[in-house]
Amino acid sequence: MLYLSQAIGRPVRDELGEPIGTVADLIVAIGDRYPPVTGIVVKTNGREIFLQWQSVSSLDAGGATLRTTAIDISKFHQRPNEIRLKKDLMDRQIVDIDGRKVVRVNDLRLDEVEGALHLVAVDVGASGLLRRLGIESPWRVIARGLGRGVPERYIDWEDVDPVERTIASVKLRVPHKGLAELHPADLATIIDQLSRNDRVGVIASLDDEAAADAIGEMEPETQVDILEDLEPERAADILEEMDPDEAADLVADLSEESREEILGLMEKDEAQEVQELMTYAEDSAGGIMTTEYVAVPASLTAAQTIDRLRELEPTAETIYYVYVTDEADKLVGVLSLRDLIVAKPNTRISTFMFDEPVAVRTDASQEEVTEVVARYNLLAVPVVDAQGKLEGIVTVDDAIDTLLPQPSKRRLPRLFGRSGPAER
Amino acid sequence: MRKPALALTPRAVNRVRFAAILGVLGPGLVSGFADNDAGGISTYSVAGVKFGYDLLWVLLASQIVLFFTQEVGARLGLATGQGLAGIVRERFGVRWAAFMITAMLIANVGSIVAEFAGCGAALGLFGVPNWVSALLAATVVVLLLTRGSYSKVQYLFVAVGIGVSTAYFVSAMLAHPDWGRAASSLVVPHLASSPVYWVTVVATVGTTITPWGQAFIQSYVADKRLGPEDLIGERLDVGLGALLTNLIAGFIVIACAAAVYSVGTQIDTSSPDAVQKIAGALTPLAGSGATVLFAVGLLAASFLGLGVVPLTSAYAACEAFGWETGVDWRFREAPAFYGLMIFFVTFAALFILLVPAGALVQVMFTAQVVNCLLLPFVLVFVMRLSADKQLMGPLVSGRFLQAIGWIGTVLLVVLSLVLLATSFLPF
Repeated sequence: MLYLSQAIGRPVRDELGEPIGTVADLIVAIGDRYPPVTGIVVKTNGREIFLQWQSVSSLDAGGATLRTTAIDISKFHQRPNEIRLKKDLMDRQIVDIDGRKVVRVNDLRLDEVEGALHLVAVDVGASGLLRRLGIESPWRVIARGLGRGVPERYIDWEDVDPVERTIASVKLRVPHKGLAELHPADLATIIDQLSRNDRVGVIASLDDEAAADAIGEMEPETQVDILEDLEPERAADILEEMDPDEAADLVADLSEESREEILGLMEKDEAQEVQELMTYAEDSAGGIMTTEYVAVPASLTAAQTIDRLRELEPTAETIYYVYVTDEADKLVGVLSLRDLIVAKPNTRISTFMFDEPVAVRTDASQEEVTEVVARYNLLAVPVVDAQGKLEGIVTVDDAIDTLLPQPSKRRLPRLFGRSGPAER
Repeated sequence: MRKPALALTPRAVNRVRFAAILGVLGPGLVSGFADNDAGGISTYSVAGVKFGYDLLWVLLASQIVLFFTQEVGARLGLATGQGLAGIVRERFGVRWAAFMITAMLIANVGSIVAEFAGCGAALGLFGVPNWVSALLAATVVVLLLTRGSYSKVQYLFVAVGIGVSTAYFVSAMLAHPDWGRAASSLVVPHLASSPVYWVTVVATVGTTITPWGQAFIQSYVADKRLGPEDLIGERLDVGLGALLTNLIAGFIVIACAAAVYSVGTQIDTSSPDAVQKIAGALTPLAGSGATVLFAVGLLAASFLGLGVVPLTSAYAACEAFGWETGVDWRFREAPAFYGLMIFFVTFAALFILLVPAGALVQVMFTAQVVNCLLLPFVLVFVMRLSADKQLMGPLVSGRFLQAIGWIGTVLLVVLSLVLLATSFLPF
């Protein structure tokens, strides 16, 4: 990770470590999702020379090192698809799709992607501005002393449209209408970065399902903010669309007042499910499990089971495992989708199910669940109560959340996916 | 003067029609009128009271310089569609922009306080208590700027400016001045050896050409969404603005010279309520009508400044951060812009209401010092930007304008430094 402002003005050294100038600018080729750096402008003896990126062996906040000692001092000619980051982008006005002024480019964020340096995001947060002013660290110390953070905000380069080469302003290309078609994770990144008012506007333009998917991917604080800002009816509708385990976690974080109001407005069954899930400790198997699994009685045949799956598929979180229960809902076996498909249609499932299923207790710790999932290579692990009654399942994606640094549910934003986590 | 714009496009030539030019008028006039704000009027009246007609030539000279600095500012606005703070950030970087904004906002608070003081002094002549006039002025200005559209606000500003002109013209007439002497003093520089005289010269120029005035014209032109094709109309606008500013300043000096200086009335011009005393001193010779007109003029001018200076502050801060600006937006469409403007008005109003008069003088003094320090930077920024072909396109300053601009800049920088030095010397 490198910010443009950290590289500008730093020394450029040749292969032998001899200083030859300073970094004046970087050049990227636009067109890709994340434009690759294609060249570097070096200021030497009061002149600007251009070097191809191939001749640069490293670039970081300490400066650049070249692979060569021979420098081609040919004059720089900008190719049509190339832009200079500092000259053409830094400090430029960002306007939204309607041409309204939003903010200025405070800094540009570069990341190593697949072995090459790419422009990934525009820094529009206070931290970027403070970095440019050279007072980021003292400011952070003061802010920490006051118990506050320094807000970081980024706009993914993918959502930016650098109109022409003579860029007067940088345009965002994310209209409200376009948001719903993005992947929930991407949608969540964008919504996370909006102001509180704008978020509600964006959520209002989505349908319940899309809103539920997006909210599911957000940070807990953002989730709570959004739900509390929405009309309670709408919040209830969105919660119904969410996985019950996520919904339960979220509802647990709401203020008592809104919690009761929203639960009251939800469908009875859904509300009950959520309330039951909330009774488990948040970091126990019960707290992270979902109740959307497929369970069938042992008396069914393979064909009947597959029919049942077809009926249930739309809501179940995973159908790769089918759990087999007796009359008292006790877990007696498990089938994989593969078992079901390769079995003869008329065979009873009790004859080929795995009858010693691995399960965890509702009060098992999250670490235990993760361990079980990892040891047995499971896509989901069933959760049972003290009597062995099947209560829910923990899917592998919820189980591995514990492996991430705390806060465990924090989703790493897309733009930081390939390098270290953002400090906050 | 070169006219590069005439060679622009057939459309631009088409634009050179009377109606089109009338539509362009506004920013230059408002900016010119606003340069004669509360601080300006008190400086001019002190100049008239102390030195009679002697300083008229300074007014003419400073209006000529004002024309060129305002013309460059307007041209920058036409060419870029942006205010000064935004371009400084783009071209000179965040640190210069941060320095300029910070200094300008500090100085502007002092100027706004001075506008409030001006309103208070004017209404004080009619027996209105200070806190009433401050609250009244603040409320009217905030309502006007947040509710009014660009064109309404502009018309009102121009109307107020014309009112000020008329008031001072009539009060000068009432004072029966020696017009012949006034005319000759206007064109023949009077060179005295007294340091106090030169301090007043410098102060007169300093109150006319200000950092906020420079930032205002550019932002205001950009806010009006004028473009390169409006160059001719905008030059006319700026020219008219400078001319009217000059006339108003001249009438003030003449009124004070004829009614106070010529009859030998002694007034302590260093006291905070000097303007009030000067206005009162017009009565014996020019009649109470002159005093009333003087007060009305001061009230209107202070009110205009009270609108323009917070507006400039809000433009500058928002431009630097890239937030939406413009008098045409509704509050929720540009909340930062309106919020900041209201903040500046309220902050200065609190000063007036809560801070004792002696400390107010300190606030205004600090503002003047910061303005002196800032002006050279602002002028150098403006001159360098206006010579940038890439930025300005066909509106780039030619050799003639560059030469004039740099001469003016050097003169103003020297005067600024002198003013700064004299601020700390006992004259």
